[in-house]
Parts: sequence; C-alpha cells; structure tokens
Amino acid sequence: MTKTATIMIDDQTYQVPDGINLVDAAKLHGITIPVFCYHPKMESVGMCRMCLVELGSISVNRDTGEPDLNDDGSPVVRWFPKLQTACTQTVRDGTVVRTSTAQVLEARDNILEFILTSHPLDCPICDKGGECPLQNLTMAYGPGRSNFIYDDKLHLDKHVPLGELIYLDRERCIQCARCTRFCDELVGDDVLAFHERGRSLQIVTISDPPFDTKFSGNTTDICPVGALTTADFRFGARPWELDEVPTICPHCPVGCNLSASTRIDRDFGGKKMIKRIMPRQNELVNEIWTCDKGRFGHHHSRAADRLQHPMMRQGGEWVKIDWATAYHQIASKLKKYADSAGFLAGPTLSNEDLWELRQLAELTGDTPRLGVWPAAMTGAGVVAQVGIGVNTRLQDVGPETAILVIASDLEEEAPIWWLQIKQAADRGAAVVVANARETKLDRVTHTVVHYDYGDAVAVLNSFAARARSRRKTSKALLDNRVDGYDDLAAGLKGTRVPFADAADVLLDAENVIVFAGAEGLTLDQHRELMQAAANLLIITGHVGRQNNGLVPVWPGANVQGALDIGFSPETTASLIDEPPAMWFIGGADPAADDSQAAHVLANAEFVVVGAQFMTATAAQADIILPRQSFAEREGTYTNGMRRVQRFYAAQGPVGDALPDWTIYAQIGARLKGPKPPVSAAAVMRAITQHVPRYAGMGYSSLAHVEAQFPDVGGDDLYYGGTAYANHGGLGVQWATDAEDDSARLVVRPAQIEKPEKSGDLCIVPVRLLYDRGPLFEPSDIMHQRVPEPYLELNSQDAAHLSIADGDRVMVTAGEIQIETAARVNGHAPEGVVLWPRRLAHGPAPALFSACSVQKIEE
Amino acid sequence: MIHILLRDLEIPDIWQFDTYTANGGYDGLKKAVHDLSPAETIQIVMDSNLRGRGGAGFSTGRKWSFIPKDAETTYVVVNADESEPGTFKDRQLLEKNPHQVIEGAMLAAYAIQAAAVYVYCRGEFWDLAHALEDRIEEARQANLVGDDILGTGWDCDVHVHLGAGAYICGEESALLNSLQGLLGQPRVRPPFPAQMGGGLYYQPTVVNNVETLANVPWIIVNGADAYKKIGTPESPGTKIFCVSGHVAKPGNYEIPLGLTFRELIYDHAGGILNGKRLKAILPSGASGPVLKATDEVLDAPLTYESVAALGSTLGSASFILMDEDTDMVWAAAKMIHFFKDESCGKCTPCREGTYWLDKIYARLLRGEGTAHDLEMLEKVPNQIAGVTLCALGDFAVNPVLATLEHFRDEYEQYIHQPEFGPEPAQAL
Repeated sequence: MTKTATIMIDDQTYQVPDGINLVDAAKLHGITIPVFCYHPKMESVGMCRMCLVELGSISVNRDTGEPDLNDDGSPVVRWFPKLQTACTQTVRDGTVVRTSTAQVLEARDNILEFILTSHPLDCPICDKGGECPLQNLTMAYGPGRSNFIYDDKLHLDKHVPLGELIYLDRERCIQCARCTRFCDELVGDDVLAFHERGRSLQIVTISDPPFDTKFSGNTTDICPVGALTTADFRFGARPWELDEVPTICPHCPVGCNLSASTRIDRDFGGKKMIKRIMPRQNELVNEIWTCDKGRFGHHHSRAADRLQHPMMRQGGEWVKIDWATAYHQIASKLKKYADSAGFLAGPTLSNEDLWELRQLAELTGDTPRLGVWPAAMTGAGVVAQVGIGVNTRLQDVGPETAILVIASDLEEEAPIWWLQIKQAADRGAAVVVANARETKLDRVTHTVVHYDYGDAVAVLNSFAARARSRRKTSKALLDNRVDGYDDLAAGLKGTRVPFADAADVLLDAENVIVFAGAEGLTLDQHRELMQAAANLLIITGHVGRQNNGLVPVWPGANVQGALDIGFSPETTASLIDEPPAMWFIGGADPAADDSQAAHVLANAEFVVVGAQFMTATAAQADIILPRQSFAEREGTYTNGMRRVQRFYAAQGPVGDALPDWTIYAQIGARLKGPKPPVSAAAVMRAITQHVPRYAGMGYSSLAHVEAQFPDVGGDDLYYGGTAYANHGGLGVQWATDAEDDSARLVVRPAQIEKPEKSGDLCIVPVRLLYDRGPLFEPSDIMHQRVPEPYLELNSQDAAHLSIADGDRVMVTAGEIQIETAARVNGHAPEGVVLWPRRLAHGPAPALFSACSVQKIEE
Repeated sequence: MIHILLRDLEIPDIWQFDTYTANGGYDGLKKAVHDLSPAETIQIVMDSNLRGRGGAGFSTGRKWSFIPKDAETTYVVVNADESEPGTFKDRQLLEKNPHQVIEGAMLAAYAIQAAAVYVYCRGEFWDLAHALEDRIEEARQANLVGDDILGTGWDCDVHVHLGAGAYICGEESALLNSLQGLLGQPRVRPPFPAQMGGGLYYQPTVVNNVETLANVPWIIVNGADAYKKIGTPESPGTKIFCVSGHVAKPGNYEIPLGLTFRELIYDHAGGILNGKRLKAILPSGASGPVLKATDEVLDAPLTYESVAALGSTLGSASFILMDEDTDMVWAAAKMIHFFKDESCGKCTPCREGTYWLDKIYARLLRGEGTAHDLEMLEKVPNQIAGVTLCALGDFAVNPVLATLEHFRDEYEQYIHQPEFGPEPAQAL
C-alpha cells in the first residue's frame, strides 16, 4: 500500500491507501459504514443495501487537472442522484462520501426495518445474541418500532442440519450469501448454495456428505446473524459469559491463532472449560480462518480418559504414585543410566517444555541424545538459511509470485496454507504442485508435476539445472555470499529437465515460495530434498525477502521449536538404531507410529513417558507422567514459518497433570539442577538468553499487538464475533541467515537416492487431517468425518489382485497383518499402496515396506 | 402498412430458409461482411437511431460502440427471455420469422467481431428453442453461421440456451449469470456487460432484445435514412405492440412509432371488448406505471419520449387494457403478487418489500384492510424504490404508486366497505 488517495468523508479530508474498499477506508478512520453482506475478505456483492451512502467525486477540470471550485472556494462535488452502496466502491483521489445525513440515516432505518420483518427476533435464545451484527446495528440504527404487522411474519424451519457440524436456522438467515461466497470463492468447495428465490431464498447444502469442506466452521463466524451455528457450541453458553483466552492450535504447523471461549461450567466440575474455539485475527498467519480440526478438535483437553495421576508399573499393574515419588524415581533412574538415556520430544511440546527437557537431559551428560518425534522431516540448518522471508503475507501474494508445493498433500497436512495458496492462485499467483500422486491442490493450477516416488529430489535438481541453463541465477548473491556453488554447478551439469514448463513457471516469477513436505521420502531423502529446495532458492536469489523462501510442512505444531532448541530427527533415527537403555519420552507416541520404535521400546530397560492419554507408547512405560494439554497451561509454539507465538491457560486443571516444563525442572532439581523456574515466562527468558534466534522474544514482546488491516477484530458493530480481536499477540518471527547481508549461504549437491523397491507393492504412508490420533479422537463431534481405515490401491494393481473399490482386504507387511478396506480411485501410483497414518489403531508399517494385499472373500 | 418485423403476415412461410432468402433474407449479413467494416456496421445502426425494444429504449448502435476495440473475446447475447406480463412479440418473431432474428444477431456479432452468439430463451419456450436450433442449422449449412462465414475467415456460431423460467433472468446481468450456470441474480454494475469483466464469462458482451435485432437486417439493407423515415425522429422505426386484456382483437400489432394510443387501441385492435369503456392502460406490462385512460393519454403519440412524459414508460410495449369494471386494487394486488414471486431475493428492499406489500394486498382483498395498511402502501414503496440492486425493485412499486395516484378512491372503499370488490371478504 504505497500510493495514497485523498478522500472526503463527512466533510473531513482523509488520506487512505488508494484503491481500497470505501467501507474499509472509512473504518480506518473510525467512521462506521454499517454492512451485513460485505466482508473485507470477499468480493463485494451489494446485496443487503445497508451501506447506502451519499457518494460523489470532486469535479476536475479536464484541461488543467485542477478541481473545479465553487464561489466560496470549496471544490465542486458531482453527486450521484441516488444513494450508492459504499461496499461496491473503491476509493480514489476525489472520492466524496457522506455517511450520516438524514437521507442516509433514513435509508439505513428502512433497510433494517425490512430485514427485521423476516427475522424472528428470538435474540433471547439465539447463540449469536450478544455478538450479533444484526442485533448491534438494530440497536445503533434501527427504527425502534416496526410498522410491519407481526402476524405477517414468515416462519421457517429453525433446526436444519447442514451436515452434522453446522446447523441452519432458516428464519434467522438474512440472505447475505457470506457463507455461500466463502465456500464458493475462498475455498472453492461446491457445498453450499441458494435454493429458490425471493423471500423463499434459502441456504442448502448440495454436497454428499453434506457441507463437505474442511473449513465449514468459518461460515458461522462470518454469518452476521445466528443463522449458522456449530453443533459444538449451539445452546452452549451466551457470548457475554465467555472469557476469551488467546491460544494456538496444537494440530499442525500453520499455528493458527485461536481464541478459546471459556466459562466456569458445571459440565466440567465447576472449573473453567473451553466452550468453543474461534479463530483469532493474525493477518500474518491464519488471517481470520481456521480449519474444522482446529475448531472442533479441542475436546481432548477435557476427555474423560485423560491421565490424571503419575503412575508406576509394579508387577504388571499400574499403581498411582504422587509427584514427589515420580520425580525421585525418575531422577534416580537418570542418575543410574546417565548418558545411556535417550530423550524424545513430541510435536506438541512447547518451547518451554523443550528447553527444560534439554536442561534435564544435559544434567545426565555433556552430549545428551535429544530426538524429535515424528522423525519424518529434517532440515533445521536449511530453514535457518533460507526459511520464508520475515513478514510474508500469503494473502497479498499475486501474479508476481510462484508457489511450489512439493511432496505434500497440503489440504490434509496444513489446511490454512492450502486455503491461502488456493486464494493466491485465484489472484494470479503461479502455483506448481509436485507430488507422486494427485492431491486436491492440483485443481487450482495447470502446472502439475507427477513424479515417481523417490524422484522428488531429482525434480528440484532439474529445476536448479534449468535455472542455470536459462541463466536465471542471481549473480549478486552467487558472487558475494554463496559457498559451494562450483560443486553444485558441476553436479547439475547434464541434468535432464523433464518438467521444463513447471521449472519455467518458477524461474520467471519475481518471488518464489517453496512448501516442502515429506510424503514418500525417507529422512535421508528429505534432508536432500530440503537442500535441493535451498539450492534452487539460493541460486535464483529467492531468499531473504518477504514472500520468498522455504516453508517446511512439519509433521506437527512445534517441530520447528524442537529443532530450534536442539532436538533432531537424526538423533531419533540413531536412538532407534542404537537404542538407549532408558527412554525419556515427552508428548510423543512412537509406538503407534512406527513398528520398529514399538519394538525397541518394548526391549528398553526403563521407559518414562509424559502423555495425555494411555497411548501405545505410554502402555510400554515404567512411569507415566500426566502432562497438561495445551489448554491448561501457558507456553509458546514456533510455527512452520518460524513465528513464535504464545498461548495462554484457558482451562481448569485435570487431575494432577502438570505442564511438561514443570515436571522436567522438578526432576532436574533432584539431579542437582537449578531451582525450578516459577513460570513459563521465566523459562522463555532463559531461552531468549541462550538461543540466539529467540533473543528478545520475551513474553511481553510476543504478546505485542498492532492494528491489522483489514480490521475485522475490532470493536465494530458489524463484523461480529467477539473472538476475532487479537489480545494475545501477533508473535515474533525469527530472521534467517539470508536476511542478514553479512551471512554466508551454503549450497551443495543434493544426492538422489532412489528407494530400494523391496517388492511389487510398497507402502507409502500419507497424512490425513482427520485421523484417530490421540489429540483428535476424543472429539466425538468429528467422528463422522474420520474415514474408516482404508488403503488406496492403484487400479492396475487392484485389477491384478481382483480387488474392487470398497472390498475388504488383508494386508501383510512384515510382521504386521491388518484387515482393512481397499479404495481404488485412481490416486495411487502403480506399485504403491497409500497408507493413511493413524487411521487404524495398531502398528504402522514403515515407508516403502513391501506388502501383499489379498481380498477377503465374503 | 409496412411490416419490417412481422413479415409472416404477408409471407406465411418466411420461417423457411428458402422463403426467407427468396425475399431478401440474409442480404443484410452478406452486405455487411462483404462491403462494410464492423465499424461502418455500427455506424449505420447508430445513425438509424434504433432504440432497444426490450424496454429501456437505449440506442442500439451506441450500445455496440461501447465494446472495447481491443477486446480479445466478445459475445452477443440475444435476450429471448420475454417474460414481462403481456409481452408476446418475441415469441411470434422467433416462431414465424426466425431467420431474421438470426441474421440480426449475426450482424451484431459481425459489428463487434463476436466469438459466439447465445440465444437465451425463457424456459417455457422449449418447443420454440428446439425449432430455432433447426433454423440455425439451416443457416450453418448455408455458411451464414459457424466457421469461415461466407468465406471471410470469420468464425461465429450461434447457441440456444433455455432458462429455467425466472422473470429476473430477463434482466441482462441476471441473464448472463444464468447463462453461465450461476444463480439467476443481477450483478453489481459497473462493470456493465459491454465492459471488460461485466459480460458473459466476464468478457465484453452485447445483450440485445429479439425485436431489436430483427430490425437490423432491414436497416443494413435499406440504410439508416430509410429507417428514420418511419416513425418519429426520436423514436424511429416500427414497433410491435402486444395488445391484451379487455380488447376486441388482442394480438401483436406492428405499427410505426408515433401513432396515438387511440389509433392503436380503436383503429387496429378493435376497441374495448363488449363495447365497454376503457378505464386504464398498462403500456409496458406490469413493470410500468398504469395510465388512466383520459383523452390526454389516448391522444398522445406512442413514442418513448411521449409515454415517459405521461409518467409511464413504453417499455416492451405490452399493452394490457382494463375496462370500466376492473377493480384496480385487485389488479395491483395481482401485479404485486407477481413481483413478490419473481423477486430474486438478492437485495433486501425488493425481497422483503414485495413480501410486505403482498401481505397488505392480501389483507385488503380479504376485507381486513386498515388505515395503517393504506399508510404502508404509501410508505413501503418509497423504501424500495431507488435503493435496489436492479430495476425490478423500482418496477415492483409502480403498480402500487400509480394505482394509488389514479384510483385512490377504490382503495378507500376497500377499507371502509370491505364487501366491495370481486373477491368476497373471507375470514382467515
């Protein structure tokens, strides 16, 4: 927003960014133009007519370019003869608007009277009551009494399920089309539509299953009335009883800023509980959206089967112990095993937990083994060099930018990034999707690269080779800041470029962002993939700038934090290959994810597991430590774009569970460690002093909030939802080496290591958003969305095996034998069995393990 | 009497390709593509001062000239959604003289170098639409439609599309939405259809009424000056008047613009049924204000400007005549009920306002009307008019405001003498 426009609102002159919407422009200066259908995240449609204003423009002399003047020296304004909708206007120099004349006020009064003729006025029992734009604007501008005869009112169905998550109250609907436009325009899922016309116009779902989108909950936030409510919250509480607690979603690397609406509630023993989750505005992260997993997947925090007390295994039985005993026992075991202990951190441990775990580990030896779980992705060093530029705003990305998504099914792994990339494509950004199979992102672009599993690194290498052959390299960077280029160049010589068109899409863009996942890649291959991505970005100069750089699609909410604090997936691999005698595991469930890990744990001498639930891993423990969920405690997560973000305690305690950092510090104190810190903030202070990238990220700076544009979370009367307002902080993103002009950047040839094909059919695990993981399964409300366990077969392979879509099959992979359903829908490449992770309980086969699939006859 | 449009009255078989061509058919298109540039074609139509016959009366040539010259893809859309109550002229043209409509559309397409022509027929025209496809195929076989038209290298095909029976889809931007497979609701303008982003598939598009296009071949063959000799300077040409209601000879009458109401009604249409007195005239279906049949009105010329001066509009010239026995409150109620049914529901005032008005009229007709209702009939229309997204909202208030203006006494009778009126008062 470089250019400004001078406009007049209510006879005052203002400077506003040129070309923005008039409603937003007025709001920037605190002037209300009330709206119902307009939403700053969507195209305006001018339907509700609430924003009628007197509109004109300053008359300019065509010859001189100077404004024409009245006798009194004031500029001549050419007014439209009729009132105009402000929401369909963008501002430019000379725009003149009057927002509060008698004519305008009367028009608003009239529109409100019309809207209310069809509205049931059941505010006392409406979930939206208290944070309802219609209620607010009626109070502010309404006629006070209606001329409409109440008996003439049209009454419609009040409990229409649009699927099992969202309910529609037909008579509250004011036909603003925000929900249908959100689904059609922003998400692109054809799931909601208007049916009929006139006063019979009504919202219907047109998909099977109904309202089939991963973003359905957002429609309830943007609904300006109580027409759309969630099954999770409806009739659950009144907005004014709720205490909004800022939190961060623990489910994926996007790090959506959320607001936990909490209340002291009898359903939770008189303790504070989360009544609903809503997105909290952070334009640098999730804007004002979140996916349905983030919104409805919070029930794990108060699930009945949460671990409540420390427990010790005695003679095959679990015995409840107190914390002091647990600390003492563990401390003595750590003393005993010392540097033959291994530490494993899960993806939902906060930075504070990770720090204290490292402190504890360091008390056992100088070079403790610190592993992170899942150990599917690596590349901390690469991210530190060329991670996405600071202050990247995906929602500003347009035709000047190309986005490559490789080896990731992004909608399943990081839905909000998928949503933002889809919208970027709509704005003209060039999207390149590279994967071994079709994913939903393919539909937003014409540039799709389907490689064979194992060829992801080769694809990126070929792009880099293309950059060299087309001389699209950045001379300034290569001459002055890059080490290892000669080796890389030599390695790229003669590289075949099978997808030149896709390469050129990236090479011809001004900005390039790469989202890299790890589907179908071993850890070693993934290391090379990250390097290959870094090579491409560095040699083409797409680093160290806003809207350029690398985004790893980490397999968890705080994997980035774990890497930052010194945990590594390579260590995890070595822990499994050369197992320690004692395992200390926090918030990870390797036994469920990996059959080899399960085997190793079963043979360990002593296992300590911090867990929320009795997971497969906890079941193998000698001591179980009940950890608090994200809801009960404070902490910080670092998202996939390296933004460190605070979450706050939203829920009352469950049993004796404690935050992990407290547990670790208490054990450390019994190993002659320092006195335990008194607060998460104190732990963070220690991190800021010892982890250079986190310098200056104290809790107060992380809580800093600035005005955001568009302003949807303010105290306006018309965007609705009290939860948008961000009072918890925008977080702080740490800068990469590329952003420091004096730092050297390193490239090296990325090795192509083809996987060993161990059989005719090999398993490739894939990630699904809706799975049966321990943090999601307790949300009963989502159960209909979680598919029954299945695997996906290529149609050729299925034909050979006489297996049809939907058949029951027996899969054998090594020692694992599981009965499941087969899907044959054309997505699996030949020779590959796609295996959704965490859909079935029980052990999971490893990547590329050979398998056989047999049809089970009825 | 000259028939430019309803030539089937003289040549009953003109719907047949051979008959049409034997009577000068497609000469206009041939002349244009061989002898005229697109710009010259536009200029001739502009000079003829042909005005849009769909209702708005906008200059057709100017409309064509708004298409950006650098537009890569443009379209012509033929508005055959003929859905104004009392309008049935386009049906006759498409049934009886279809090739002339196709030729007119192709001339428009040539003038703006369109990539394709779409004929949007109202859903009830399914039989007609199927026949029209055969007529188009005949033209295609004769190399007048399709690829490399008349050997000039210009490609332009004509497609027929059936709507689903919504009045609002006669409104051009709702029509375009419907044609694109979207909900039939009007668009925000600007951009207008002729502008980038406003037309079919968001490309610059000319949307013309069937009758408008049917005039074009004659104009191209005979020239703008010849056309302007018919009718009046401001409203040249002939116009088809659809006369219905309490009239002796209902039907379509093509007469030069500028004759009087009286000439149309009494000389051509045989006067009022059963010799009764004419009470009121709807000159443009339900959407234009009703006129009281005074001598001033009857002696006024039928031109766009003079009907506007009378406080109504010529519109699509669907003349619904009402005799002395007509209950004007009942008539207004019928029209309001129509608009309530046909409001698309997109914008608040029209959706809610027509519902409200319909409720009031229903109460009046039940004999339960109150003074409050009469007050509301004056207030609610003013809450609708001028603030809606499209013109339907403005049309919808005309039956109320015009009948209140001319026949207020009948409303008062409904309030004070509930037994008055054609429908007996009924309890709910």
